[in-house]
Amino acid sequence: MNFPPAPLAKDNKSSATNYHPSASALRDQQLIAKYDVQGPRYTSYPSALQFNNSYNETVYRQQALDQLPQTISPLSLYVHIPFCQNICYYCACNKIVTSDHSVARTYLEYLGKEVNLQSELVSKHRTVMQLHMGGGTPTFFDGAELTELMHLLASHYNLTDSDRREYSIEIDPRTVTRDSFALLKGLGFNRLSMGVQDFDERVQQAINRRQRYGMIKTLTATARLYQFKSISYDLIYGLPFQTLDTLAVTLEKTIELAPDRIAFYSYAHLPERFKTQRAIDRLTLPSAAQKLAMLSLITETLLAAGYVHIGMDYFVKPQDDLAIAQGEGTLQRNFQGYSTCMASDLVGLGVSSISSLKSSYAQNERGLENYYQRLDAGVLPIAQGLSLSTDDQIRAAVISQIICNLQLDIKCIEKQFAVVFSDYFSRELQALKTMKSDGLISWHSDKLVVSELGRSMLINICMVFDKYLDRKGIIQFSSTL
Amino acid sequence: MVISRSQTSNAGALEKHACPHSSGISCGNCRLGSICLPLALEGEDIIKLDEIVQRGRPIQKGENLYREGDDFTSVYAVRSGAIKAYRLTGDGQEQVTGFYFPGEIIGMDGISKDKYACSAKALETSAVCEIPFHRLEELSTEFPSMQRHFFQLMSQEITSDQQLITLLSKNSAEERIASLLISISARNARRKLSKTHFRLPMSRTDIGNFLGLTVETVSRVISRFNKQGLIAVESKEINLLDLDGLKAIANVNENF
Repeated sequence: MNFPPAPLAKDNKSSATNYHPSASALRDQQLIAKYDVQGPRYTSYPSALQFNNSYNETVYRQQALDQLPQTISPLSLYVHIPFCQNICYYCACNKIVTSDHSVARTYLEYLGKEVNLQSELVSKHRTVMQLHMGGGTPTFFDGAELTELMHLLASHYNLTDSDRREYSIEIDPRTVTRDSFALLKGLGFNRLSMGVQDFDERVQQAINRRQRYGMIKTLTATARLYQFKSISYDLIYGLPFQTLDTLAVTLEKTIELAPDRIAFYSYAHLPERFKTQRAIDRLTLPSAAQKLAMLSLITETLLAAGYVHIGMDYFVKPQDDLAIAQGEGTLQRNFQGYSTCMASDLVGLGVSSISSLKSSYAQNERGLENYYQRLDAGVLPIAQGLSLSTDDQIRAAVISQIICNLQLDIKCIEKQFAVVFSDYFSRELQALKTMKSDGLISWHSDKLVVSELGRSMLINICMVFDKYLDRKGIIQFSSTL
Repeated sequence: MVISRSQTSNAGALEKHACPHSSGISCGNCRLGSICLPLALEGEDIIKLDEIVQRGRPIQKGENLYREGDDFTSVYAVRSGAIKAYRLTGDGQEQVTGFYFPGEIIGMDGISKDKYACSAKALETSAVCEIPFHRLEELSTEFPSMQRHFFQLMSQEITSDQQLITLLSKNSAEERIASLLISISARNARRKLSKTHFRLPMSRTDIGNFLGLTVETVSRVISRFNKQGLIAVESKEINLLDLDGLKAIANVNENF
């Protein structure tokens, strides 16, 4: 995933085109500041920080074989393509910057080896309802390589052309043409997410990612022409030289192009951990207070423009599948973010990818050399992982409900796991009291309901149920991969 | 665009027979070689490619090459004749999804599902070269450049298919028909045939079905083009008299 670390919470009261926060917005901002801690993005629970190397290929293989008889339930696939042609200074993800295109050929060969090993562990009949290609830059692969990759997947897994499928790919606008969209459509993709980040030229220069507004506009129109089901923009706030004014312009331009989904990530500056971020001058970054104001501006502006805040950093149009799924209580979340039709099992292919079987996570080698070495030896390149304890599974279910449904059905958890909620979570229920009096949540008989304000602090609410955080709930956290 | 062959072959070791409809000729001297798989290979290596290509008897008009939902095993290069691709709609109606002429590869829409996404039927007696995919993959380990080239061809085909489908899903009847004529003209030019004078092997019904127009509309627009001096029509023979005029009508921009 090409996302920067941990987003903050956000505010969403009132609406204003010119940004003058109302009294209630100011009060909310104070609350947001109070709950402003870095936390996991909960694309998994427990998070990748808890993975360890006692979980290995043998364990994974055994767990997969136990599930092999499952022949009907759908399957998700994720493919990680780590290469980038250019370096974006803000990026904190697992990537390899190179101008040597031949690396793609080699990588494709090794993906082939991995698919051979992996696909033996999955029933051929399981329909792949969800496929995601992320990076790095998936479109680092040229048309022929993408075609070959799709053929590789199609010849080992049961891909579908059902309208309900979610086949998505991350796009670096600088690496595609109109033709690419025709090809992607023909290969079966029906969703695109574009790395937009910011429209301001000075900001783009400072993060080393120049892409003109006209280009994004043309590509968006082309994606519509080819009838992609949803177009998603990734945007970031907290970047160098960003101000409320520049952000307002970026928001205005974004709304004009009307993407179906918007993921608005927070930039966390951690140059000691992520080398490329050292190219960003700390003094050009907005202050913590400015970032909070930006967050309010983003939320207010997008809500006023008719987007729905489905939680975390996601905004979607009300008619979007994600909004509908949330309304129906069927929204789900995995390493790729929110989804409408996530399968119980996810197979992650490529360097650093995470697979998730029913009660375990398995992560591939993060370095290309190790990844190749393991495959040369004829074994799955799994480096670390985790088998979930019953406690992990209970907490994972609770966190998933909160993030996806914006409410928690106590009876449902009690029934599913045969526990008495008030006993099992007595300490957590205590901690939730403050959140209730701050107006983040409310109780309706056996349901905990996240308030409109609480949507901006979903992470905080989930953190209450996270066993692996220390008492203050503060942890040195990284991005998910 | 794969593997067909010319009447006048002089490729020495590669040569077997000279008849264009014969199933006993090789890739080495095909007039379509310059836009096809042999492009990626040299000299003797072409023989190895030739060995995996299967050339059965010609398929007769109305005969199916494969059917929607069949396992994807091979792609086919049209050597002569014309093929139409179609799907069956929920109520059993035929929906034409494309026309394929000599030098073009068909069956590649199966690649992303590993099943043929359409059925393919001969519009007239046609000769095809069958390229079994697993054999091609085997061969590709020996000649990586060929595999690369093959997927390149494939991605180009998929791209232009989508472009045409998208183009035809919009616009007026005039634009659609002009677009189809221009598309055929451009494809002819690519395989070094006349880009202004050709035969339309498909019926007006098929054209209408493909373009989402009634037969009456197709006929009306074609007669109008004829009257306006844009084209000259003689039964199925068509002469594009004013290519630029047609392009203007089709609203073709550089991207399509």
